[in-house]
Amino acid sequence: MSKRVLVVEDQEDNRQILRDLLANVGYEMIEAHNGEEALIAARTQSPDLILMDIQLPVLDGYEATRRIKAQADLRHIPIIVVTSYALSGDEEKARAAGCDAYVAKPYSARKLLETINRYLTVP
Amino acid sequence: MNLEADPTSFIGQRPFAAATSRATRDAASVRENSIGPKLRASLRTKLLMAFLLIEMLLISVGVIGLLSLREADQRTNQVVALQHKIEAYRQMQHDTLRQLHGVSAALEFPDETTLAIALRQINQFGYDLDRVSFVAKDEVALLNQLREEYARFIAVVSHIVNLIRNGQTAEAKQSERAELGPLADKLERLTNQLVNRAEADMVAGIDVSRQTYSKSQLLVAAVALASLVLTLVLGHAISRSVINPVGVIHHGLNRLAAGDFSQRIEVRNHDELGELAAHVNSTCEELQQLYRSLEEASRHKSQFLANMSHELRTPLNAILGFSELMLDGIYGEPSEKMRSALERIQRNGRHLLGLINDVLDLSKIEAGQLQLSLADYSVEELISGVHTSVESLAAEKNLGLRIAVPAGLPPARGDERRLAQALFNLVGNAIKFTDAGEVRIEVEAKGKSLQFSVQDTGPGIDEPDQAKIFQEFQQVDNSITKVKGGAGLGLAIVKRIVEMHGGRIWIVSRIGHGATFSFSIPARLEQQATQT
Repeated sequence: MSKRVLVVEDQEDNRQILRDLLANVGYEMIEAHNGEEALIAARTQSPDLILMDIQLPVLDGYEATRRIKAQADLRHIPIIVVTSYALSGDEEKARAAGCDAYVAKPYSARKLLETINRYLTVP
Repeated sequence: MNLEADPTSFIGQRPFAAATSRATRDAASVRENSIGPKLRASLRTKLLMAFLLIEMLLISVGVIGLLSLREADQRTNQVVALQHKIEAYRQMQHDTLRQLHGVSAALEFPDETTLAIALRQINQFGYDLDRVSFVAKDEVALLNQLREEYARFIAVVSHIVNLIRNGQTAEAKQSERAELGPLADKLERLTNQLVNRAEADMVAGIDVSRQTYSKSQLLVAAVALASLVLTLVLGHAISRSVINPVGVIHHGLNRLAAGDFSQRIEVRNHDELGELAAHVNSTCEELQQLYRSLEEASRHKSQFLANMSHELRTPLNAILGFSELMLDGIYGEPSEKMRSALERIQRNGRHLLGLINDVLDLSKIEAGQLQLSLADYSVEELISGVHTSVESLAAEKNLGLRIAVPAGLPPARGDERRLAQALFNLVGNAIKFTDAGEVRIEVEAKGKSLQFSVQDTGPGIDEPDQAKIFQEFQQVDNSITKVKGGAGLGLAIVKRIVEMHGGRIWIVSRIGHGATFSFSIPARLEQQATQT
């Protein structure tokens, strides 16, 4: 059974890049467009990993991460937060929200895949 | 945009401005008590009034002096008049005595000569009487009595002379003894009375003039002293009214020059100085409003830039992402030509992204939104991290890249990522502008400071340009910029990062001899430096 990655991203072009990237390595991609959809998908679709953008409509990435990590049965799902540019101070906030790792935009597709693989191959 | 070359310098002065304006108000409230400034008159009128008052004082001192002199003169005249009186009285006594002698001589030797002398003496009385009545007009009663007595005396003398001429010597002698003697005694008594009175008057007059003298002496001294005191008070009032406000205004203008627009000068004068202070205040107000609108414009600009660069990055991320996937062959192996084109897209896209990020950084720093995250870091790791990220850039241009970090440096404290960014910008610049030779990164521990230097063998920077290069959008030579690229934001960001660490940055360079950029920061920064 292929690994399932929940991608929380409001930009269609960015979702398309991840779709192509993840399909290429044989991962299944579940999509959510905002923080609230992410909370529902995390519960109903039981993903193996969550890729969370920060700037999201309705509910932002920090809050979504905090709420998922606050639930005992979802806490084990690794969350990789995609922060906006480095100087913004997003990493500290992301870490405080309880994410497992973060990558800064613009991310290299190759390096992002390396990070994802690190969390998916280790049981 | 060039309106605010350095908005943070304005922002930094705000607390100072608030504190000093409070101080001005306190100082002004103390000065409210003085009388001079409240006078509703122009400065010219005030000065004129003061001088008039002083002049009036001088005139009054003069008038009092003159009056005293006149009084003294009058007293002297009175004394002289009394002396004349006394002389006249004495003359009269003397003449009476001579008359008595004359009559006696005529009785002893009754010839025409002695008789003529006796008769001439009688004429003398008329003159004496006229003189006395002239000098002693006030002694009416005594004078009348004297006149009557003398009339009788003259009559008796005439009678005696006639008796002598008629040869009635015995009757004449009888008359002399019985009438002339007692009359002469009476006359002497009367004139003595007059003399005594005049002498008493003279003594009293001298006494009075002595008293008047000491009184007028006191008066003149007192008036002079009062004038002196009044002049001093007046001078003080004028200086309060003029010099104090000038001082306050001077102080206010100094503050204004230092950038404190919130202060208001309080000068209570209703004159030219009050108007001047009001003008200064309205200027302050206008400047403050201007400053506020500038501040707001600057904030809007920073916000606009922050939003804009975010909006620009989103599509750029997609461009970079897709071209990378294409290069990785996810959509099928690209041809050699296509790969080259994709690489160009990647390179230019990353360059554009770098520029956008610089703009975002700078606008965030300027808007005061950037906070350093302070933590312990290893200088060696910091430098090796920078080395790793610029290694390929130097290798592409066949430049040497050398590093000199002293071994065993203790852990430093600061914002490692920002410092890495600063060093990356400096080394990146050095590599960009150097075509041959090497770039050298050096760290030195100097007391409680760390000094980082980046040295290159590039074209060098002319001295007049050295001050400009740390400003936004400044590059030394536009023709170089066209070849090398860059918006000129890198050094401005480095400068801000160094300043936020409480450090300073400088450059040593000569045309044709390369350039050395150095910055010095506290080895252990416990608190972010306030921006100035």
